[in-house]
Order: sequence, then C-alpha cells, then structure tokens
Amino acid sequence: MSRRTFLTQSAYGLGGLAFAALESRAASTLLPRPAGWNGALKNAHFPVRAKRIIFLCMAGGPSQFETFDFKPELNALDGKAFPESFTRGQQIAQLQGQELKARGSIAGFKKHGNAGIEVSELFPHIGGIADDLCVIRSMQTEQINHDTAHAFMNTGSIIKGRPSMGSWLLYGLGAETDELPGFVVLASKGRNGVQPVSSRQWSSGVLPSRFQGIQLQSRGDAVHYIGNPEGVCQSMQRQVVEEIQRLNGFLAEEQVDPEIATRIAQYEMAFKMQASVPSLTDFKSEPQSVLDLYGIREPGDGSFASNCLLARRLAERGVRMIQLYHRAWDHHADLVNGMKWGAEDVDKASAALISDLKQRGMLEDTLVLWGGEFGRTPMGQGTGRDHHILGFSLFLAGGGVKAGTTYGATDELGYRAVENVVNVHDLHATILALMGVDHHRLNTKFQGLDVRLTGVAGNLVPGIMV
Amino acid sequence: MRKGAAFPTAWLGLVLAAIQSPALADGSKTPEDRVLFNRDVRPILSDTCFHCHGFDKTSRKAGLRLDLREEAVRETKNGVVPIVPGDPSKSAILERVFSTDPDEVMPPPKAHKDLTPVQKETLRRWVVQGAVYEPHWSYAPLVRPEPPVNFAAHPVDAFVREKLAAQRVHPSPEAPRNRLLRRLSLDLTGLPPAPEEVEAFEADNRTDAYERQVEKLLASPHFGERMAVWWLDIARFTDTVGYHGDQNQRIFPYRDYVIDAFNSNKRFDQFTVEQLAGDLLPNASSLQKVATGYNRLTMVTREGGAQPREYLAKYGAERVRAVAGAWFGSTFGCAECHDHKFDPIKTRDFYELQAFFADVKQWGSYYYGYTTEPELLGLSVHHPFPPEIQADSPYLARRREEALGALNQFFVETRARAKSDAKMQFDAWLAEARRFLRSEPSGWAQPPAEAAIYKEGKPVDGGKVPVGKDRSVQLGRTIARSEEMRVFLQPVPGRISSIRVEVVSDERTPEKRIAARKQEGMRVGVRVLSREGVERKVPVYFAEADAKELRFVNGTEVQGVAEGWKMAPVRSEPLPSAVWLLDPPVVLAEGEQMVVAFSGDPVLPIRVSVSPLAGADPLKIADASVRAALEVTARTADQETLLADTWFLSTAADPNAFSRFKQLSRELRDTHGGRAWTMVTQAVDPMTVRVLPRGNWQDESGPVVLPATPSFLPGRMESTGEKRLTRLDLARYLVSEENPITARAVMNRLWAQFFGTALSAVLDDLGSQGELPSHPELLDWLAAEFRGSGWDLKQMIRLIVTSATYRQSSSLRPELRDRDPSNRWLASQNPRRLEAEFVRDNALAIAGLLEAGEIGGPSIRPYQPAGYYEPLTIPDRDYVASLGREQWRRGVYMHWQRTFLHPMLANFDAPARDECAAQRVVSNTPQQALTLLNDPTFVEAARRFAVRLLTAPTVSTDGSRVRWAFKLAVARDPKPGEAESLQRFLESQRKQFAENPAAAAKLLRTGNAPAGPGDPVEVAAWASLCRVLLNSQEVLTRY
Repeated sequence: MSRRTFLTQSAYGLGGLAFAALESRAASTLLPRPAGWNGALKNAHFPVRAKRIIFLCMAGGPSQFETFDFKPELNALDGKAFPESFTRGQQIAQLQGQELKARGSIAGFKKHGNAGIEVSELFPHIGGIADDLCVIRSMQTEQINHDTAHAFMNTGSIIKGRPSMGSWLLYGLGAETDELPGFVVLASKGRNGVQPVSSRQWSSGVLPSRFQGIQLQSRGDAVHYIGNPEGVCQSMQRQVVEEIQRLNGFLAEEQVDPEIATRIAQYEMAFKMQASVPSLTDFKSEPQSVLDLYGIREPGDGSFASNCLLARRLAERGVRMIQLYHRAWDHHADLVNGMKWGAEDVDKASAALISDLKQRGMLEDTLVLWGGEFGRTPMGQGTGRDHHILGFSLFLAGGGVKAGTTYGATDELGYRAVENVVNVHDLHATILALMGVDHHRLNTKFQGLDVRLTGVAGNLVPGIMV
Repeated sequence: MRKGAAFPTAWLGLVLAAIQSPALADGSKTPEDRVLFNRDVRPILSDTCFHCHGFDKTSRKAGLRLDLREEAVRETKNGVVPIVPGDPSKSAILERVFSTDPDEVMPPPKAHKDLTPVQKETLRRWVVQGAVYEPHWSYAPLVRPEPPVNFAAHPVDAFVREKLAAQRVHPSPEAPRNRLLRRLSLDLTGLPPAPEEVEAFEADNRTDAYERQVEKLLASPHFGERMAVWWLDIARFTDTVGYHGDQNQRIFPYRDYVIDAFNSNKRFDQFTVEQLAGDLLPNASSLQKVATGYNRLTMVTREGGAQPREYLAKYGAERVRAVAGAWFGSTFGCAECHDHKFDPIKTRDFYELQAFFADVKQWGSYYYGYTTEPELLGLSVHHPFPPEIQADSPYLARRREEALGALNQFFVETRARAKSDAKMQFDAWLAEARRFLRSEPSGWAQPPAEAAIYKEGKPVDGGKVPVGKDRSVQLGRTIARSEEMRVFLQPVPGRISSIRVEVVSDERTPEKRIAARKQEGMRVGVRVLSREGVERKVPVYFAEADAKELRFVNGTEVQGVAEGWKMAPVRSEPLPSAVWLLDPPVVLAEGEQMVVAFSGDPVLPIRVSVSPLAGADPLKIADASVRAALEVTARTADQETLLADTWFLSTAADPNAFSRFKQLSRELRDTHGGRAWTMVTQAVDPMTVRVLPRGNWQDESGPVVLPATPSFLPGRMESTGEKRLTRLDLARYLVSEENPITARAVMNRLWAQFFGTALSAVLDDLGSQGELPSHPELLDWLAAEFRGSGWDLKQMIRLIVTSATYRQSSSLRPELRDRDPSNRWLASQNPRRLEAEFVRDNALAIAGLLEAGEIGGPSIRPYQPAGYYEPLTIPDRDYVASLGREQWRRGVYMHWQRTFLHPMLANFDAPARDECAAQRVVSNTPQQALTLLNDPTFVEAARRFAVRLLTAPTVSTDGSRVRWAFKLAVARDPKPGEAESLQRFLESQRKQFAENPAAAAKLLRTGNAPAGPGDPVEVAAWASLCRVLLNSQEVLTRY
C-alpha cells in the first residue's frame, strides 16, 4: 500500500476523505489525466476545453432588460398593467400583493458583432467584444432571495454544507500552483444596490477545508495572516519556520503520526505563500496601457477593475477558479442610476479582462462567466425592479464556448424563459464538462449520500459548447 | 438512579489480565469465512442496489426489492427469483452481477457503481450460506451484550482486546504518565496540565493515582466548557441568525445552560427534555425556558422580500435535520423531497417529525417593512429576534458586584475628600446650591427661551418656532434630516450640570405614534454660545428618560437616551421627560447662552430646564431627598453621603476622578443588572404541516400530518384526533426504553472525543449508508450502560478514559499499516489534533495569558483581521476586539458569526454551525500554519510566554528556561537535541534583535497585553523561541 493510500484511508489523516471512491469507477469512457490535474480525479471524462474559470458574479441580480434581453413589446407596455396571464400563481419577492405594472427598458439597445447580438447601450465595451461572447437569455433559477439564490448558483443546493463550484474543481482537478490558494475570491462594491454576501458562498462545505475559497482582502493583508508579525522580517520568519520544522522532525523520530510529515509540508507551503502573495498583488510590472485598458484608477484599490486585473494575474499563476463578486445590482429602487453606475464599474473592466486574456492566448483555455444570482422583473417596483427567477441573462466566453452567439429566449415580455431553457444545474453540468468533468462523476460521500454539484439533476447544454 | 445490571465501579484500579488469545477457539463467533449481512453484505447492497431496488417505491425498478428478504426470495412479476438461498446458480441477481454483457450486468454501467470481484464473491458466498438478513444494527432494539470473558476486567478493554486477539495483535503499552495526564487534561477540560500537576502525578505511587486525576478533571468547571464545544456544534449554537444580513441574536444564556448542564452532570434525558420542551414542563423554571433556546437556533432571515411561508418551510426542514442529527445520528434531509433511497425513512416521517415543532412561535421573515405581523411592526434591522425572556446571568451578576464594589469604594474616597482637602470647595458649592434652590425650589430652572429651525448652521426662512408662556417650545412639524431646531436659553449665569426635556402635551394620533417608533428618536446636542457668537460643544456622558422605547444596535440594547430618545408610545400621565448629564458641567459667564439643538423627532411640544445639580441616576437629580438634605442644617450620615456625592458629580471637581467615575458607571450599566435577554421557545397554536411534494412549499396538495415518531423505529407514537403529541412527547420518546438509536448515537459521538474516530466512523449517519461499527457489541454495551446508568455522561466518560485502551501509547503501529490502516482495531491510541477553540485555549494557557477563572457570560471578540466583515451589510458593522481580560477568555465564548466565522476558527475546521454538525473535519493546511505564525493572538501569546519564562522564579539560565518552556508547552523535558537546537536558535535571534532593537520593540507591541518587564531584545528573542514552540505539532496535538 502506498503512503498516499495510507494517508487517505487514515481516519485522522486528511480528514478521512475517501479519494479512492473517485478512482474505482469504470474505465471505459475515461481519457488520460490531463497535464496540470493533481486532484482526486485520476482521469478526464471529456476533452478539457477550459483549464480554469473566472466567474464575474454580479451580486444582487442585474436586470436583463438593461443588459442583454431586448424586449420592444415590454417597452411598448411601459407603465401599463402587466398582463395577469403571465404572473398568476407565480412567486414574487417584494412586490407581494401589489399592483403589477410593466416597466420598459431604461436603456437603448444596439446590435454588435457579426451575429448582431443586442446589448444595452449602457455596456458599450462588452458590446464591443460580442464576437467572443455566448449570451444565454433563458436562464432560470429556483431561489428568489439573495442569500439562497447565491447558494444555489454556487453550490447547486440551498442545503448548507454543500461545496461551492470552485471547491469542487479544486477537489477534483487540483490547482496548477502550490504557492497560492487554488480557489480565490475577490469582492468589490458599487454605489447602490449593495447586498451582503456570505463567506458560505465560497465554502468547501463537506469537502475538507483546504478546498475552500480564499478571499483576498482589499484592506490589510491580502490573505488572512499572510503578513509576518510586526518587527519580524522575512529572513527571521524563515528561521522560525526552519526551527519549527526541526522540532517537528525530532517529534517524528519517536512518534509515528503521518500528520507530522503533512504539517512540515504545510509550513513549507505557507512560507511559499508568504513569499508569493506580495508579488501577486504588486502591480508595478503592469504597464500603464494595461491599467488604462481595465480603467484602473488606483491599482490594488479593491475596485472591480483592479480585481479583474488581479484575476488575470491569478489565472496566469495557475489558480483553478477565481470568483469576483461585485455587489451593486439590487435595484429595487433607482434603477436608472443603479444600472448606470453599475455599468460604469464593470463594463470596461469585464471587456478588458476578456480582451487581455485573448491577447495573451489564454482565453482559449479560460472560461469566463458573467452574471448574477437571478434577474429582475419586467414589472416595475417604485423606481426599480424586483427579483425574478423565471428568466434572466448571463454570458460565457472563452474555453470551449460557442463565441459570438446567443442561446435561448424569453417570452415577448421577458417574463419567462421559453426557448432552450437553461437552469442552474444545466449551467453547472456544462461548465464542468468544459473543464473535462462529467458532473455525475465528481462526487463525495456525505451522510451516506453521493453529494454532487448538480445533485440528481443537470443536463449538458450542447448548444453553447463548441 | 442506576438501573439494571449497571457496571460497578469496583474494578477501578485493577491490574488488567494479561492478554490471552482464545478468540478463535470460539470458532462459531466470527470465523473468517462466515459472511455477515450487516458487516459484509449490506454495505454492498446499500451502495449499489438499493437505489433502484430498495425502500423508495418511486425509483424502484422491475418491481424488485432487495432490502426485504421475503421480497428478495420471491418470484418477481418478470418470473425470476432474485435470490434462492443456498443455490447461487438459481439466484437471478448473481447471474446479473457476474454477467459480462453490458446490457445484462448489474449494476448497469451507466450507474458507475461497478462491483469489484471481491464484492461479487461476497454476494455469492452469502447466498451459498443461506442469504441470511439481519435488521439494520442501529434501528434494532438495544440489548445489552455481556462483555467477553477472559480478556480484561474492564468491559471496554474486554471488547477491544477480544477483537485484537482475534487478529493476533497485542495492544500498545500504557503511555508515560506525563503524556497521559496531558492527554486526559486536554480531553476532559481542553486545557493543558500545569507542570506541578504533572510532577505530582508522576510521583504519586498510589494504585488509584490515575483514577484520582480522572475524578479531579471531571469535577473541574472547565469540563463543562470542553463538553459544551461538543454539544454546541450539534445544537448549531451561534451569535447570529445566518441568513442575509446575518444580524446578531441574543442567546448566550443558552450556552451557559449547556456548560452548567455538563458541569452539574445533568442527566442526558433531562438535558434532552429541557432543550426540546422545557417550556412545556409543569411550572417550568427560568433555566428550563432558557434551554428551549435550542429550538430557536435555526437560521432565520430578515431579508426584505423573503416570503414567510417559504422560510417557515425552510426552518421546519432544518429543525428535522437538526433533531435527527442530534438524537438519531441520522440523516433525514433527503426525506424532505422523497422517501430515503437507502434507509426506511419516508417523506411522511420527515413531516411528522416536523409537526412536533409546529407550535414554536416564530416568523418566517423578521422583516419589519410591509409586514402584517403586529409584533414585528416598528422593529428595525437592529432589533433582536423575539420571543425572548430575561434570565439571570451569573457571570454578569458577578461583574455587577465587582462594578458596584469599585463604585462604592470610589465614592468612599470622594466623600472623604469632601471633608478634608476639598472641604472648602464642598462648602462653597453647598452655599451655591442653597442659593439656587431658594430661587428655584424644584431644583430646575426654566430660563427664557427662543427657538428656530436651522439648516447647515443658518436659520431657515420662516423657521422661528413659537415659545409659550410656560416656556414650552411648540414645534408642530417634523424636522428634516438636514435640519435642527435650536433652543436658545438665557439662564442666570452660573453652573449647569444637567439638562431636562419634558414633553408638555401629547397631541399625536395613534398612527403617528407607530410612525414615530421607526425613527431614531429625539437627539440632543448641547453648546455654549459666547457673547461674541462663538459656539462651543458640550459633550453629554449619559442621558436617561423616565419613559422610552428601547433602541438597539445590531441586537445590543443601547443604554440611556444620549444617542436618541424614542418616546412613543407616549404615556399620558405623567408626561415623559429625560435628563442629559453634561461632560463636564459648565459654568456660564454673563451674557453666555446655552444652545440645545434638537434633531430627529421632537415634534411634540417640549420644555427645556437646566440644573446645577447632577447625580449618578439622571432621573433622581434634584429629587426630594437631595433638596431636603440641602435645606437642613443638622444632616444625618446618609444626607452627608448624598450631598458629598451630589457635590462631586455636579462639579466634577477632580477631572481624573470624574473620568474614573464615568468608566465605572459605564461598566456597571454594561452588566445589565446581572440579567440577559435570551431567545426561547414559546408555544402557540400549531400551524398546519403538510407533506410538501418534492419539498415544494407552494404545493398544497400533500396530506396534512400530525406529530408522530419515526415509523421505522420501535415504540412508535402517533397523534390521534383527541390527542396531539407535543414536543414533550417527542423528547420523552427520544430518551425512552423503546428508542434504541439515541443512546447509540450519543455514545458513538462521545467515543470520538476520546479516540479521534468514532466506533461507527460516519458520525452523522448511523443508517445503512453509514458504517457498521468497528466494535458493534462495545457500542451496544456502552449505549445500554448509558441508558442503564440514568443517562450519566460523566460515568460513561469515566468508563472510557479509565480503560487501558484509552491509556495506550498513541504512537501508531507501523507493522499494522497494511492490516489496519485506520487503526480501527485500536491497537494504539490515536493522536488527535485539538479542535479550533482548544488550539487557542492551549496557547493562551501555556503563555499564562488565559483568563479561565470565570465560567459563562456573553460572547467575546478576539482580534480579527480588519475589514473581514466588509461584505456584511444590513446593518453595516465593524468588529471591535474585546478589551481587558475578556480578550483572553476561552474559545468556547468566541463570537460565532455564521456568515463570516472568525478566520482562526474557520482555519482550524470549526463549523459555521448553519446546521447540526456532529463531525468536524480535521484538516492540516497552510492556512493553519499562517494562523499560528502570524495571528496576533498567537504572537501575543508567544511574547507573554516569553515574559512568563523570563520572570519565573525557579529558572535563570537559558537551559533551564528551555526546559521549563517544554514543561509548560508539552508536559515533558526536551530531548538533548531539541534543547541544543533551540538554544542555538535563541542565540541567533538574540543577536539579530540586538542589532535591530526597533524590531524587538515592534514585536512586543502585538496585542493588548502589556509588554512586561525586562530588556525588549531579550523578551523578543524568547518570544521567537516561544513562537516556535507554539507552532509545533506536539503542542497542537493531543498524543
């Protein structure tokens, strides 16, 4: 028995997680293990189209009517009663019990790219890269409140303790870095429409905690406790770590405990992280032209634009999943300013990230996902729009995605996705497939169940895959 | 108390019999070739067959069931016989299992559940041997097994050694005494032993020396703190509500209840009943109601737009999962939507269990806007989560006594001064106060007033506010956010110590009162306006009203009304008033005016008065007793005291003493009279509970269900038309003789506390997808003993830790790696990394920094990285680390923020406690290394550890200090190599800090604790050495 097997089967080594379960499956449809994979999966199930994913999460739920879903008939109905035939018996959040009136788009739309994809005029830069995008206009989710909707979008479940997508990928595929966390979260916020986001959203849940997302902070240390104590320089810190290793070595001489060797390895990695995080967040090597491309005012200021550039730097360094939250899209009121400000925050930087990746030859194996936890109602709510789950839009770009296309459609008033409906489980299944993974086969045992990102659901969406 | 054949304690201290190896002599028991259903076959069927051929009829294929023998041996509708006992060639399932045809083979390839050759052979042999079924072990009635004879006197050892003997494996020797005491101490109290205790134990040659240590530690108040960590995970205890804005909830008295329950060894059956249904007990005590906070620890939401019914469904489902996890050790979660695929748990069971809790008073959404719930109207994002009760808090009561004592002592001193060095000032003040009383017999003056609305410092056009003959200010309109109403007072020159605002009439309609409740209330600013027109601000240190609405900041009640006075609903007789205390009192010169600026919600007609008198209680200023004392010439002792205190507070004669008074009085107020509010269960008319098809809360087509205990467990209880079962019935069922699973689940979890791994290693699933226990009879024996002993937890712990099995060396056995890689036979103890809370406690204790003297109390806030709560809004919040000794209290008291758990806790695998968490993952990560290296808590501990070593009276050389450090940290002497290496390291650090003393000074500033005496370079060098020790694997691990 190899040492690795001993460790993984040992109840007190590596959290008692049975990797073996993922390895004993039928070998008929498996592909060789791709380069850069060092997680629990020993083989790919599909060709690997994307090696990493950057999820630009528009937290709060941006309106599809001011982004990607052009609805002239809704505009015509603006201010008039919303037809009850659409809404009867459907779930509603804050508009419960109120008179429902249609709200037309506050923004004009323009056709972009070879396929003439309609994008709101608030997002000219994203419109400008339409040929790289695959816009899905027929998304549906199951949860109508922020907290649970984020949970559903990240983990495929509202039951607490389900691992986030990044944790699944890290667990199954590993990361191509041993100096940085393999799943990194960045957060920024806008001027209005700001809702809280829980660290539960990047939790590894029932997977061991080393698969959890690590949030890089914009204030203080980028990673918690990454900075040496005051008065301790890097060389003295190194001496401390070496002396710890020596003591642990003495312990290993008399005590048989595999955790000692693991601990020694983790201190080495911690020290490497301490050395590499400062260079990661040091933007000095980025030319002004790049800063301008993203629209960065102050590098490292924690803005969405700065985080987009940081995301590219993380992608270059082998991080498996990078998730950006921009909290700015909960526009129950003041939709006009909210969408304008939100677009100012993210339009240029989102497009810049995709162009930058493309220019560096990285877009072909990087998957970029842009979207919120749900959409918004075609009915107005005061000066805004309420939450909506029956139809909303998002886009994908990069590795394995059909570029320059749209997929699916909502009805004439944008109320419900009616054509090529994509639910969140389908999106997850497709993302995993683009990463080379059969969603049925990335699982872990918990409470006697095979837990998966997609639960017992999820169908691939071939229409958006190359 | 003890019933049945409970195990006597007389064996304690007996020398255990040497191991014999007769196990295989009893060949009929478990010969190697005998296939046992629960051990060998059920796991295969459960993992690969039951999904389509099990309990759940909706996913059952080909009408075939393999979970029931009578079904499995019967011809199916397709005309085949799945299993013919004794005849593998006629058994259809074997044909399919061994088939190589992808269309025939079972399980089908698309299920990705292929059987290994060994598994297939196991199934074949099982059929050959007669296909004997056994009931699932954890649901079967609990029958106490007899411990095997001839192995060991101690029953735990008897079971363990029987199995070891069968494998021809010898147990490990007993661990050395120092390590044993460290193990016992960390396991029972979560704290390391003091070096003196280790030495005493090593020198104790009495035969029961070890048992004495066990008794001492079981009696320690820290035992309850340690066990509480175990239970609070299961009870999902947290300080915050969990969803969305994750606001604070008031619940810490429940934690105190849990700690106290373990310390007083409350029977586990009573512990169960009180938490689930304490409110339903006849004449329920306050403590029994506090215990019902358990039912309120479900995550709840205050998100605007949350639909109450949807969230009530979520809460109901969570409660089922929590109760099933805690008392059944089972996972009911899947049954919310469908019958369990692998266990006989039906959807109906799920909702019947939920129905027990249908009477718990709660709201689906605690959102206060557009609510139709009268009790939520007028609440804010800052309000607590009703229903709550106010309970005694022994911790706060002790703090209160301390604060009162300090305050009394303080006044003794100031009173003495009024008669000695400050006598002249006192007498002068006395004359001044008497003069004032002669002109204003009430003690309050109403000076001439003018009033106007101001905006951005300038009067608003037409903003003059009428002032009545009675000096009342008749505003009659609301004040905008950017505005304030200034009242200009022209009092007689002299001292002003207090300002009073009286409501003179209440003209509001009831609707306006409701609206007013949403406001921040009236805020008052005080300024002095010089003759030249220059304003200077006068701070206020406290204000209080005789009638007010409570205000909160994220669940914490705001003391006094200095931050805002919410008046509604106004009582009409007498009309309310409030008093502001100036900080410090001012003396107005001729021509100076006093400006009282109102913002927020004054609306009502008010009158402003001023007084040169002050007092500790704003509402008793210039009251009759003060006035009488000032009038008389022959004063009683009490009157002397009263006047001396009034003098001091009215004049703030000594600024330093006045600051101290403010500090002490704030500390006293913060003890809330020794009482604390806490969420409890209140029973209301039960809401209707239906089976929700596929868990869909909008689907009302499912049948209505009434409370009933799970159908698959013995002794089922059901509600009838006449009698609806209650939470009390459920609680009593859980701890009844009929229910076999609770005792098993609790004992299994308890075992894991002392061995790292439970007997059935999947702690949260004792169902068929879990694991057959490594020692099934031992677990049943423990469970039966637990029940038989009167649910005596301490007795069960005593049994476990006095076993030779527990006392073995924890060095794993290389020769057994292949045969028993997870050490399930227990041929040695297991090393166990401390849980997050104890990683911190241990470091603080080693450093001598731990404040362990007090038990219980409100949550504390250790240092936390700045900005960590940034994504947390509604309300916005800032984390302020606890000051003073609270900073170093034990981890069990750490503030538990569900959405952003303290990074130190999270890095060391503490669960967020969103749900019942029976099992903590034990990981080993770089984040843990970073935490121990760089978290200020651990750096501060290292530098205080250094001070402890440098100031210890018994050690004076580097060598002796290193030895002492090892004794404190790991209860042993260093090995020569370790001591040499550390001393070399120390020399090098010393040299480097000597070259850079500024760096040494910086290091010693980490944390709030004082730097301590001694040369900073020397302390810093030792601090580096202590960092090394506190990071070592041995400190983190209970060996």
